[in-house]
Amino acid sequence: MDAAESLRLAARSIRGHKLRAALTALGIVIGIAAVITFVTLGASVKAEVVGQFDDSPANRVFLVATPGDDGGPPAALSQPVFTEYDVGRIGEFEGVDRVVPRGTIATSALSRGGETVARDQVTATTPALFESVTFREGGAFADASSGEACPAEMAVTPSAAALFPGNLSVGDRVSITQRGNRTRNVTVVGVLADDAGLNPLAGFGSRPRFYLPTCAYDTVVTSPTTGTRQNVYPQVTVIAANPGDTAAVQTRVQDYLDTESDAAQLAPGSYEVSARTNEDIVERIENVVDRLTQFVTGIAVISLLVGAIGIANIMLVSVRERTKEIGIMKAVGATNRDVLQLFLVEALLLGVGGAVLGVPIGVAGGWVAVTYAELPLTLPLVWVGAAIGIGLVVGVVSGLYPAWSAARVDPIDALRYE
Amino acid sequence: MTGDVASAEPPAVELDAVSRTYTRGEPVYALDDVSLSLARGSYTAVMGPSGSGKSTLLNLVGCLDTPTAGTVSVAGEDVSTLATRQRARVRGQEVGFVFQTFNLMPRLTAEENVALPLVFQEVAREERLERARDLLDRVGLGDRTDHRPSELSGGQRQRVAIARALVTDPAIVLADEPTGNVDTETGERIMGLLDDLHAAGNTILLVTHQRAIADRAERIVRLRDGEIEGIDQVDVEGAA
Repeated sequence: MDAAESLRLAARSIRGHKLRAALTALGIVIGIAAVITFVTLGASVKAEVVGQFDDSPANRVFLVATPGDDGGPPAALSQPVFTEYDVGRIGEFEGVDRVVPRGTIATSALSRGGETVARDQVTATTPALFESVTFREGGAFADASSGEACPAEMAVTPSAAALFPGNLSVGDRVSITQRGNRTRNVTVVGVLADDAGLNPLAGFGSRPRFYLPTCAYDTVVTSPTTGTRQNVYPQVTVIAANPGDTAAVQTRVQDYLDTESDAAQLAPGSYEVSARTNEDIVERIENVVDRLTQFVTGIAVISLLVGAIGIANIMLVSVRERTKEIGIMKAVGATNRDVLQLFLVEALLLGVGGAVLGVPIGVAGGWVAVTYAELPLTLPLVWVGAAIGIGLVVGVVSGLYPAWSAARVDPIDALRYE
Repeated sequence: MTGDVASAEPPAVELDAVSRTYTRGEPVYALDDVSLSLARGSYTAVMGPSGSGKSTLLNLVGCLDTPTAGTVSVAGEDVSTLATRQRARVRGQEVGFVFQTFNLMPRLTAEENVALPLVFQEVAREERLERARDLLDRVGLGDRTDHRPSELSGGQRQRVAIARALVTDPAIVLADEPTGNVDTETGERIMGLLDDLHAAGNTILLVTHQRAIADRAERIVRLRDGEIEGIDQVDVEGAA
């Protein structure tokens, strides 16, 4: 029997049970739609996260202390282990342009005059962070080193400025309530031109940020090397003088971290103190997102499996109902293979039909999820194609046994069947 | 090939010492040592009470069943030892079935039903529908080609089934109680149609339990308990 005719006959029998066929295909529609939705969401998250890193210059090496080497979240859990001593030592290495430590100061609120904004943290860093950054207004705060009085100055991102009615602007006096109800009064000296994260390790997206000099930082430890009380930071960015030397700088810094650094001695035993380039971090994040996507997609695949069982079930019912028709076809010359082909094509049509309907629904679902998460949409086109293939495979696999049992029907019994 | 008659064409159907035994606890002889030859162009009726082996005989000739012993030849080919696939081919090419319950495909139109055997013989769609329309014309249903079985009367359905049986130009047409499910008048018209087919040279094997119907054939094979009880010549044209 030629393919066109078996398609025609299979389509005819599906049309004979429209509602039943629709409900059967619905299982596949839902399965495929779920897979496409989750895969789209995963791809979009990945594209967004990786995009953030690709924007950041190639000459950076990020120092973090994270639990184990499990490829987990690279920065969020970083522990404060890098002392001022470490920062100073690394800054003298060959090929290093500057070293920017970074930490958070716990706060409860910021206020300007009578207006108060609740914030749980502000960022402490050095003016070196702002060297290649444009300001909308004003500029970086003064350098805190050299033992002078701590400059009462603050730089803010545009979204942070926007938290206050009528925006913060240069010259505004802001009072910061720190841990233990201590109050620090600072003057806004600069508003950045845009919100892009200056350091991808600090998180993604355009979160409001307030930057203070490191002298305002309040996490201190006794340096094992010098024996003095020093600031200790969870994150340090090393900027190489020349992008081509980034790898060499990374190696040098990693060697130092592994051997004589304060960080090596301060880090808890299970922690890994590492120097990573953009590439390393992108790879790690991709791993995390991939694993999450695989997990969720796995759940969606289960619903696809349920859909496949639905097809197998309905095909078995269909074979039984059409026993007499099978007998007729065999009496007029259909071979077992013809009958097998006919039922297989029918299951295949249900599978592919479900997939074809499921793809646009899945894409729509992915779009909704991505829009809700405020990410740009990235369509995994490979998966859209694969969905049709999956529908095909699901149809064949679930139709195989019913079709085989149809092919084996004894024509004499079948013709007597009422 | 059974028998080696020199130049003559082999008979349409030849049964040589055919037995068919079913084992249900103890062996049951549905057909016991039956030999029968159907010449080309002949019209034979098989009569007998239920359980006499009529259906078994029909199934054996129609390649739906295989004999336990003996040989069945259709158009000169020994079909008793053929593989499943080969038997399907013989059914598709050499045998045309007409059933008591019509057995049309409910979702196919009259012409598609008639063309169905050609689907399995890889005949192109245009050609098979053309042949189907020709045959529907011949059985007087030229104006019903697009009707589904549910839109046709019992007599019309049986005529569609007859057209289907003829579409592959088979060596033998097997008719199993073709008038069993229609009224007398319609039955008469169907028997007339079979007469026409016979006159046109088709070989027909008719199974019935009605003497009046059997009398339309050239000869009547009477079966009882799986054995041939006797063969009567019904000679209308005065040839034997």
